Amino acid sequence: MSVRVLNPNAEVLNKSAALHMTINAAKGLQDVLKSNLGPKGTIKMLVGGSGDIKLTKDGNTLLKEMQIQNPTAIMIARTAVAQDDISGDGTTSTVIFIGELMKQSDRCIDEGMHPRVLVDGFEIAKKATLQFLENFKTPVVMGDEVDKEMLKMVARTTLRTKLYEGLADQLTDIVVNSVLCIRKPEEAIDLFMVEIMHMRHKFDVDTRLVEGLVLDHGSRHPDMKRRAENCHILTCNVSLEYEKSEINAGFFYSNAEQREAMVTAERRSVDERVKKIIELKNKVCGDNDNFVIINQKGIDPPSLDLLAREGIIALRRAKRRNMERLVLACGGEAVNSVDDLTPESLGWAGLVYEHVLGEEKYTFVEQVKNPNSCTILIKGPNDHTIAQIKDAVRDGLRSVKNTIEDECVVLGAGAFEVAARQHLINEVKKTVQGRAQLGVEAFANALLVVPKTLAENAGLDTQDVIISLTSEHDKGNVVGLNLQDGEPIDPQLAGIFDNYSVKRQLINSGPVIASQLLLVDEVIRAGRNMRKPTA
Amino acid sequence: MREIVTIQVGEFANFVGSHFWNFQDELLGLASDPESDPIFRNHNLNMDVLYRSGETLQGVATYTPRLVSVNLKGSLGTMSSRGTLYNEGSSSRSDSSTTWFGDVDTQRSEPRKRNLFLQSLYEEEPKEGKEIEDKDIVGCLDEGVDCWTDFSKSHYHPQSLYELNGLWMDPQDFNNYGIGKDVFSEASRGEEICDRLRFFVEECDHIQGIKFLVDDSGGFSAVAADFLESMADEYTNVPVLLYSVRSPMSQMTPKKTVSHKLHDAISFSRLSSFCKLFTPIGLPSLTGSKASKFLNLGDEKPYRSSAVYAATLHASTIPFRMRPSSSDSSEVSSSMDVNTLVQLLTGRGRQNIVAILESAMPAPPLAGKQLENTLLTNLQALTPEVTEDIEDNQAVESMCILGALRSEDKEASVSEVKNAVDASYEQAITKTKPLFCSLSVSRCPLPVPLPFPSIFGNLVGRKGEILSSPVSDALYRGSLDVHSIPIAARWRSSSAILPFLENRMGNLEKLGIQWGAMGSDVVRTWGFGREELQEMRESLSKMVSELNPQFFESSDSD
Repeated sequence: MSVRVLNPNAEVLNKSAALHMTINAAKGLQDVLKSNLGPKGTIKMLVGGSGDIKLTKDGNTLLKEMQIQNPTAIMIARTAVAQDDISGDGTTSTVIFIGELMKQSDRCIDEGMHPRVLVDGFEIAKKATLQFLENFKTPVVMGDEVDKEMLKMVARTTLRTKLYEGLADQLTDIVVNSVLCIRKPEEAIDLFMVEIMHMRHKFDVDTRLVEGLVLDHGSRHPDMKRRAENCHILTCNVSLEYEKSEINAGFFYSNAEQREAMVTAERRSVDERVKKIIELKNKVCGDNDNFVIINQKGIDPPSLDLLAREGIIALRRAKRRNMERLVLACGGEAVNSVDDLTPESLGWAGLVYEHVLGEEKYTFVEQVKNPNSCTILIKGPNDHTIAQIKDAVRDGLRSVKNTIEDECVVLGAGAFEVAARQHLINEVKKTVQGRAQLGVEAFANALLVVPKTLAENAGLDTQDVIISLTSEHDKGNVVGLNLQDGEPIDPQLAGIFDNYSVKRQLINSGPVIASQLLLVDEVIRAGRNMRKPTA
Repeated sequence: MREIVTIQVGEFANFVGSHFWNFQDELLGLASDPESDPIFRNHNLNMDVLYRSGETLQGVATYTPRLVSVNLKGSLGTMSSRGTLYNEGSSSRSDSSTTWFGDVDTQRSEPRKRNLFLQSLYEEEPKEGKEIEDKDIVGCLDEGVDCWTDFSKSHYHPQSLYELNGLWMDPQDFNNYGIGKDVFSEASRGEEICDRLRFFVEECDHIQGIKFLVDDSGGFSAVAADFLESMADEYTNVPVLLYSVRSPMSQMTPKKTVSHKLHDAISFSRLSSFCKLFTPIGLPSLTGSKASKFLNLGDEKPYRSSAVYAATLHASTIPFRMRPSSSDSSEVSSSMDVNTLVQLLTGRGRQNIVAILESAMPAPPLAGKQLENTLLTNLQALTPEVTEDIEDNQAVESMCILGALRSEDKEASVSEVKNAVDASYEQAITKTKPLFCSLSVSRCPLPVPLPFPSIFGNLVGRKGEILSSPVSDALYRGSLDVHSIPIAARWRSSSAILPFLENRMGNLEKLGIQWGAMGSDVVRTWGFGREELQEMRESLSKMVSELNPQFFESSDSD
């Protein structure tokens, strides 16, 4: 209570109250996210105070949309969001796992157990579970010829938890093909090389993979072609607009003629640059060829005029990332100065065309040779649909990348959780001395929250499901949950696979946060009431 | 045409911005209204510099600010983050999900209630008895404004309004540099914000500059600094005019803590390294300043104080959009682009990039009873921590005068204004004379839009003229009584800014760098290493030495 002496306004919660506050917050957050989990979960529609609609089935998005204020809940939310940053998925699982660990602990603590003992048990159980995961995982060989079917199954498992089956299956192919497109042997996969572009147009099923690039801008000159075939592509970062150069920055004109002279001199140097590009165009282009400039810097109207007169299509202010993507998609290299212009620096695309939607323009660069970059073009009738598909696509991409990098997967549909739980109870617990056993048991039971929640969301009886799953498991089979009828299935046959790295991260971070929260024995906050209810 | 893109980061910056766009909206409205004063109809200002033309998916033409506004989630009040113009047709705005056939769990927040003013904006037909309604509107705005959208009458583009989500923080806790440090880079927020900016820049044929307003009293200065850093990479030759704005509220705390002082030092040092001209705005108290000679301000309400800053901001940026004509027209004179202003203020002799902004609101008449120098003496610095009287023969100034009155309510012509200003500089006592002063004049005064706060005192007339005796008993006069005001704004590059710089440099040294400094823990938790801080100190001392040649000698002797 010495804090009170220092600051009379400080509020102090003692041990049991502190523990209850944290446990309740964890449970509260679990309750919010629980219904999201799995292919039978509910989708959440959030309508804001100003009428803005957000649709999401993604725990990560949902957490970010929520105005969380409780400090414990914020801590859990941060862990869950970090889970997403690191492994790309598993936000909802993290939250409900931590919530369940806290719930199980609550029971033990009520029976007089010290949190410290529980935490020791958690630590033992965590280690054992991670070890078990190593044995349980299914290796996938990632040679030169990848197991595309396996990648599809993993992606499908993720996508089906976010989108309806038809759309999920359609996106599965898109997602897998796009990752394979950008994959380079011996290099880490850079998912940024897959551009995700959206158009508010048509329907969700019109979403497609573009082998090439879609840019969200068009040429800014009325006389430039809207469609061109056989295009040489110049990717460059050269300013083609008149600007006061650094040299005469501090220069002041003493009369109007001097000023005119400076301006013309500057203008001339811009025109020189444009002319060099036109020279190159004339050198490489035959009668049926076209020339397209995609520039990261600006191009002003006089330069556009010059280019348009030569039949060149020019786009300005391209995204920095697209400079990289363009080179990967079309070949050639990005040019930083007109002095470096060579025919070899040009890329090539069979077709370049513009699509206009209201004030928005899109430029498609397609029919490229050997693309190493591609675009997923998401379409949908409204913003919230697009946003939701976008979230799902991101998760799908991550799951494919994870699989390739992990070189293994984990059987899904709750199979891992059931098996790990049985392993902890039947094997590990016996090896533990003393009351830490109860910690191991609590941990083991907490693992079951995944199949339980899956069952609950599917409208099944959780007790029945768990009993039939564990008894089937004890017969020596690997079993997952069939959400249609609540019967055990073999996830291998059903093609349900989760990411190894997601599971690993989940088992690692969950107990860490839960332990930290359990060991809190005093909450001190100066100045504000913390007992008020929060989301 | 030379376009300007505006960026507003942070709560108070958006308050100022909201007033600013209200002025523009009012100007646009008056220009197209055949019944308005001809002075508004041919103002010879090019609004396209600030606005873009577009069209919705339904083919309706739109005209919206080139603006990127960044603020915390939930700060938009009743406004949708997609703005008001580009709403989808009601059919596609269905509540059903097309991407999920399972259950839908809807969580509906209580719809925010629009205040009287917003109701009147969205009402289809004006009701009868409009006069009374206007009075009620003004009253309701004076009563309570929670967020900047409450008094905004401008339409915004869907790309304009960006909310930072996933911070899980109360606005009042987002209050120092350290807390905002990773906000920009985390969760691809920075990328999204930069994409918004790129959308507007790509459309510009020949961008002249970026006007950047930041509320630098808290975590937003870190967000802004990271944003500016990535802009410097991407748009190397586009000059950035940075205004750091602060509400009197944010400086109300009686005692500045160590962390406040360090925040000010670090924030200034970081922000100033990415811009061409840095203008701090925000007095600790407007009420006690000269600015309130004819105004009744009150420091508690950001709605009121931001109006003064916005008016000055408007005046100071008018030269950027005067139509350059072969000979100076009768409406405007001396147009200037951003780069010219920057060169003018920072490029002569001293490389001082920190400018003082002053304003006279309303600007006094050119001729009247008090002939002696009224305009110059009425200018009140809005920049904090400056020396009042200073002898600086190296100072450079740039003044903009809008809609000056000759006497009573007669508008002065451009040449009259020029002569009057020349004369007043001549008469001025030598020590206040600058080395150089440029003057831009527009005959178009500042229009006072309906949602402008009632801040005028009872000596201010309909056209903003200063009356010799009070017109009414009312202490506060607002948009119903005052329709336009003349206003003058002046940029100054002068050694009067030295205390501002020296305070920051001193605090950084004393609290952050020295051995056993009180704030060394604070800066460490904010993630700054010793070397970084020393670099900051270096750049600050360079700024000081530009203005104070003796500085280096004295610091060498240490």
